[in-house]
Amino acid sequence: MNPRYGLRWPASYPLALVIAVLALVPVGVLMGLASDSAELFDAHNLKVLTNTLLLMFFTVLGSVVIGVPLALITAYVQVPWRKLWLIVLAAPLAIPSYIGAFTLYAAFGRGGEIQQLLGLPMPSVKGLAGATLVMTLYSYPFVMLTTRASLLSLDASLVNAARTLGMTVGVSLWRVVLPRVATGIAAGALLVALYTLSDFGTPAIMRLDTFTRVIFVEYNAFGLSQAAMLSLQLLVIVGLVLFLESRVRGSKERPGRHLTLWPSRGQKWLMVLVFAPVILLSIVLPLVVFGVWLMREGTGGFDFSYAWNSAHASFLAALVAVILAIPVAHAAIAGRAGRFMERLTYFGFGVPGIVMGTALVYVGLQLPFLYQTLGLLVLAYVLRFLPLAVGSVRSTAEGLDPSLVKAARLLGASPREAFQRITLPLTIRGMVAGAALVFLEAMRELPATLMLGPTGFETLATYLWRVYEAGYFGRAAIPGLLLVLMSALGLALMLSGERRAEFDVTGK
Amino acid sequence: MQRRAFLHNLAAVGAISCMPIFIQRSLAADGGAVSVDQLPKLEGDITLYLGRGEGGLYENVLEAIRKRNPKLNLKIRRGATAALANSIVAEAKAGVRRADVFWAVDSGAIGLVSDAGLARPLPADLTSQLKPGFQYPQWAPVTGRIRTLPYNTDRLTPEQIPESVMALADSDLSIGWAPAYASFQSFITAMRLLEGEKATEAWLRGVSRQATNYAGELGVVMAVERGEVDLGFANHYYTLRLKNGKPNAKVDLAFTKNDAGCLVNASGILALSDGDLPINFIRYLLTKEVQAYLASEAYEIPLANGVKPPQGLPALDTISPPKVDLTQLADLRPTLNLMRRVGVL
Repeated sequence: MNPRYGLRWPASYPLALVIAVLALVPVGVLMGLASDSAELFDAHNLKVLTNTLLLMFFTVLGSVVIGVPLALITAYVQVPWRKLWLIVLAAPLAIPSYIGAFTLYAAFGRGGEIQQLLGLPMPSVKGLAGATLVMTLYSYPFVMLTTRASLLSLDASLVNAARTLGMTVGVSLWRVVLPRVATGIAAGALLVALYTLSDFGTPAIMRLDTFTRVIFVEYNAFGLSQAAMLSLQLLVIVGLVLFLESRVRGSKERPGRHLTLWPSRGQKWLMVLVFAPVILLSIVLPLVVFGVWLMREGTGGFDFSYAWNSAHASFLAALVAVILAIPVAHAAIAGRAGRFMERLTYFGFGVPGIVMGTALVYVGLQLPFLYQTLGLLVLAYVLRFLPLAVGSVRSTAEGLDPSLVKAARLLGASPREAFQRITLPLTIRGMVAGAALVFLEAMRELPATLMLGPTGFETLATYLWRVYEAGYFGRAAIPGLLLVLMSALGLALMLSGERRAEFDVTGK
Repeated sequence: MQRRAFLHNLAAVGAISCMPIFIQRSLAADGGAVSVDQLPKLEGDITLYLGRGEGGLYENVLEAIRKRNPKLNLKIRRGATAALANSIVAEAKAGVRRADVFWAVDSGAIGLVSDAGLARPLPADLTSQLKPGFQYPQWAPVTGRIRTLPYNTDRLTPEQIPESVMALADSDLSIGWAPAYASFQSFITAMRLLEGEKATEAWLRGVSRQATNYAGELGVVMAVERGEVDLGFANHYYTLRLKNGKPNAKVDLAFTKNDAGCLVNASGILALSDGDLPINFIRYLLTKEVQAYLASEAYEIPLANGVKPPQGLPALDTISPPKVDLTQLADLRPTLNLMRRVGVL
């Protein structure tokens, strides 16, 4: 950076370093815990590993099969209400996958809601196939959005050249367009893989023994060291996926005119027919099931304090995350060492909630003043979702023209005044956006909340889980709908532009 | 009405061997249990660890206690019974105590905690409110339950169900179970004690090939009723509750003979901290109001003196539960290890 400061650490470094080290605490704790464990790997473990990898593989495959064509359609095909279609197709992101799993599980199968309402016998949704279906339905938008962003950065003239040389539209899309967005697809696919690995609710409801589900079983038997061992194994896979993600580089092309395709009437109907089931299953079905339950059972059992608890804990997490994000983001801009520290805090995002929970329960037992306190739960949220805040804060801070600060300094402002009067007002937007994202992610977080919440502290997510476990499905309607609403707000925020860069992993 | 006696082979803590105990149900003896009106008001902070599994009914009891005692600040931590028992022990090891009272759906979990020396003694005037044979110095059984085989009446006739639970591993029936549920784990513990480790392991392997997992035993009974599976393993009351809400439900109860399949177990409560409040809290659960409520609404077997058992229980004198010391059910760890090894947990 500035040569004059070449040897001096930027002011943000010490704080950022502390925060980065804090982000690594869960891993250290798990290693210590796992070292007590007798079983490193056994036959059941192998089955768990196989299930986890199969679920990941099939979910990624399904997401690519659905996501890439949808990306092509939303990017290039001219249909009425394009913006609306994009929002509808991205909307599954607004539904936590455990809600989807819960409602699909309740709707299908013998005696499920569909059979009760329509009298049609339905196959049940469970196991590997069921979990793959649910995870695909709720994670294909990752692939769709990253691929779409890559597609929009392409120049149409290559396709036009291919067309004049005699290729059909289909072949030119396949041979000229798709190879150039391979990195976009890969980025989305890796996000899907990460999401699938860390998801707890879906495998649990679909009764598929993946790492997350088995870790929860071990935790319930208080086999903490066994849970830690499994957590570390899961983290190795997560680390591998994160590593692959960091290798994905976008190729930059000179921007040009987008390709535009004009479908015939028949083609439009075909598209609707092919993709309507996706939306029906992922969005319409959960909302209808909740609606049915709401009408049948009313609002019984629901206490407004659950929503308040959710909001309260999430708000604290958002606040703390943004405060911690500021030094990290500034360190990341200041130099290479800072960027490394920032990378370390990203680790938490890859740590599944169930793993974070396991580690922090143990931390709590060692530090009784933290055990079963709101503080520990908030810490778990912060460690997990800090990268969301860092990303938002950094992207606005990067956009800040450094000459403005220099000008202020030249005019006699102290570094502190320059920060307060120039940097802060110009980056507040990113902070608010980052805080909102942390807030909404914390609202829908389930496993860590189950493990770490204070006694008597029921949130929307934990209440939903409790009625699921007790079999009082009808009572899930209100918390379920509220969670969907909250997540929808988060999605709106993402699509509103602040977060576009987050999905466009391939480049700025 | 009919006078029924039902045989339990439960042994008191400290008893040298198991001894059969007759529990008389007498319509005349309705004055044994204490009424809530006779109890002191509860005041102050108390934390209850509640092993869930009973859905809304225990919640209703706790809500009623809260309403009656506005100065009581009752905090409830809910979780799987085994998980909470393990947490209490782990917390004690780490020098942390959060729970004042532990209400478990299963006496195995209770035993796990009292074996760790964490239970506080109960006064004699409290334990004497319980039926003979259910008076323990360190914990109070709240209600009794019997392991049963709920079966789908469309798919099976009673004759098709083996009399021995062990024979189920060799049958071709499809089975629903909830291995994570504490009562199920106690049932496996009992099998381990009665049949040995090896036979239990083989049984688990055999049954797991034809079994479907459910999160809880209400889920098991509902799946049996829907015909998703032929029969299941569940405590008796889930089936009675389902039949109460849905009289034409296609489910009925079968009992095995003299093995773990018809184990009699009890939910129980113990105090983890000193003082009157935990003890007085426990007294509320043994009142005739609460006991009668749990019997009539939850179809559990009341254990306080002079409270009537629930309607719809089959002729219990035809049931022959195994001879298992309830306190031995606390030996949960080998059961969990076994279940984990087989891969059913």
